[in-house]
Amino acid sequence: MKLGNLYKLIGASLIMMVFVAGCGKDPQSPGKEYAPNMYVSVGYEPFRQVEANPINPMGISMRLPVAGTVARRNYNTEFGTGDSARVDLMVYNLHADSIDVAARILKNPIPLNEKSLAEGKVLYDRYCQHCHGATGAGDGKVGDMYKGIPNYASDAYKNMNEGHIFHVITFGKARMWPHASQVTPEERWKIVHYVQKLQKGS
Amino acid sequence: MNIPFREGSKFFPTLKCSSRLIAFALTLVLSLPYVVSAQEAAADAGGADIAHGETVFKNNCAQCHAITDERVVGPGLKGATDRNNMDWLIKWVKNSQAMIAAGDPYAVKIYNEYSKAQMTSFPGLSPEDIKAIFAYVDNAATAAPAEAAAGAAPAAGGAAASSGPSDMFMVVLVALVIVMLLVLGVLLVIVTILSKAVNGGDSSASEGDFMGRLTKSLKGVVSDPAIRSAVIWVFALLALKATVDGAFGVGVQQGYAPKQPIAFSHKLHAGEYKIDCNYCHTGANRGQSAHIPSANICMNCHGVIKKESPEIQKIYTSIENDQPIEWVRVHNLPDFAYFNHSQHVNVAGVECQTCHGEIEKMEVVQQRSSLTMGWCIDCHRKTDVNTKGNEYYDNLVQLHASESQEALKVEDIGGLECSKCHY
Repeated sequence: MKLGNLYKLIGASLIMMVFVAGCGKDPQSPGKEYAPNMYVSVGYEPFRQVEANPINPMGISMRLPVAGTVARRNYNTEFGTGDSARVDLMVYNLHADSIDVAARILKNPIPLNEKSLAEGKVLYDRYCQHCHGATGAGDGKVGDMYKGIPNYASDAYKNMNEGHIFHVITFGKARMWPHASQVTPEERWKIVHYVQKLQKGS
Repeated sequence: MNIPFREGSKFFPTLKCSSRLIAFALTLVLSLPYVVSAQEAAADAGGADIAHGETVFKNNCAQCHAITDERVVGPGLKGATDRNNMDWLIKWVKNSQAMIAAGDPYAVKIYNEYSKAQMTSFPGLSPEDIKAIFAYVDNAATAAPAEAAAGAAPAAGGAAASSGPSDMFMVVLVALVIVMLLVLGVLLVIVTILSKAVNGGDSSASEGDFMGRLTKSLKGVVSDPAIRSAVIWVFALLALKATVDGAFGVGVQQGYAPKQPIAFSHKLHAGEYKIDCNYCHTGANRGQSAHIPSANICMNCHGVIKKESPEIQKIYTSIENDQPIEWVRVHNLPDFAYFNHSQHVNVAGVECQTCHGEIEKMEVVQQRSSLTMGWCIDCHRKTDVNTKGNEYYDNLVQLHASESQEALKVEDIGGLECSKCHY
């Protein structure tokens, strides 16, 4: 019957439409690419890799820098203007246990002014605030869970000097872990400025 | 009652014993109302002292000590006044290291018990401060059970109320379906009644006739060539549209949300705990890639928090075996298009969410934007350049102002040039 064939045709196309429209994209699959050889880098890229690297250990393209490498690319070396300008490579060769030495000899090379304090606040909010709290009272959201976060303005902490604070950010202390991999020395010194402001309870 | 038997040397011990009994009974009787109104009684006894103690405790001690017997960094302070007398406690708080050095047995014991972690010395606290701290701790210990009981009821209520909007949605959906079914039923009934009325109440013929007429009219509709070709055209066009959409979808990974090797939740970390994106993605401000955080950044918190969770154990295993975690990259830009995070995040001040969507609400990260060229260009046309406080742009702003009245957009500084991104 002619009519029957048409019914079948319409039915089949309807079902197909439902499938095409309904199945959508599988969230587990990145989908089709037109020319994969143009999408994937020929050279090694640190954060994108499709196939295992046959040369490097564990098949990853990234490699660790040679031990003792000092990254300098993003470092400023001159701070301040005019007579107060000074050059500092910010390369300190202190051991993690030498916190007393750090407190004695390390001096903040970044001049304290409104700009450096504002930058310090931005960095503090980024790297410290979730534990130490916006005002340094140790009441950050993560701090409540982590426990053992001091109040900067309390008697035992309010007099800790810049070298001490710098060393704690670099190597950690007590329950706090080292943050040297996340913040550069220059950023650490800016944070120090801001922490010293919080120590005064403001 | 012992009096008739009292006898010289026996008198004192018996009296002592009985006085103890009396004291005990007294304490019992007295403690009954005391427990009920512990807080009021304490407030009467030294409310100012307790309030002062609370302030001092929160500023100096709360970071490492709980007022319950829970171990935080140091021991919980509940019952500390029973374990040691006040003089010992004052000496300890002022300078615990000196006591350990002097060989005080309890000081040495607790020092060793807490893996030789030094307690900060508080020489600045006066004996009154320290007494106030322990007054606060003892008061909290007696008041806590009452508060816990009072707090339990609202907590239970809260849990019941927080069933969420998804249930509500389901209820509405089910109600809608029921209403639609009812309407359909009513319509059928109306149609039946009407056809009955038309057939002059001949109930035996009406039903068959209704179905028959329905089939007949349907057949009429299907066999009409105009309607047939219209249907075929509609289907053909829809199919064409689906095909074209599919073709444009090639290489577009919008909606891609792969399963990661560790069930990390951005909703928890960025949403609930408000950890800044830059804390882990340290590269977003500094370079091309935002960086996938290395395990040491996880350890900054998870060296302490939730160590026993199987998901976090995976990080531990990875560190122990020096084996990198194979995160699945979600946002893949083709190699022929250059993109730099620092230019957008640091220089332009674009929020992460502008391109990545509401990451802080995602349990599993999903690519929300299409990341197509049209999408890039669209934004470059609309967005003003963030020139404030950036002397690099000063001359450009001047030049642009002399030629145009409009704000300096990204397209005006070459944001649409091919070779900016393709080279």
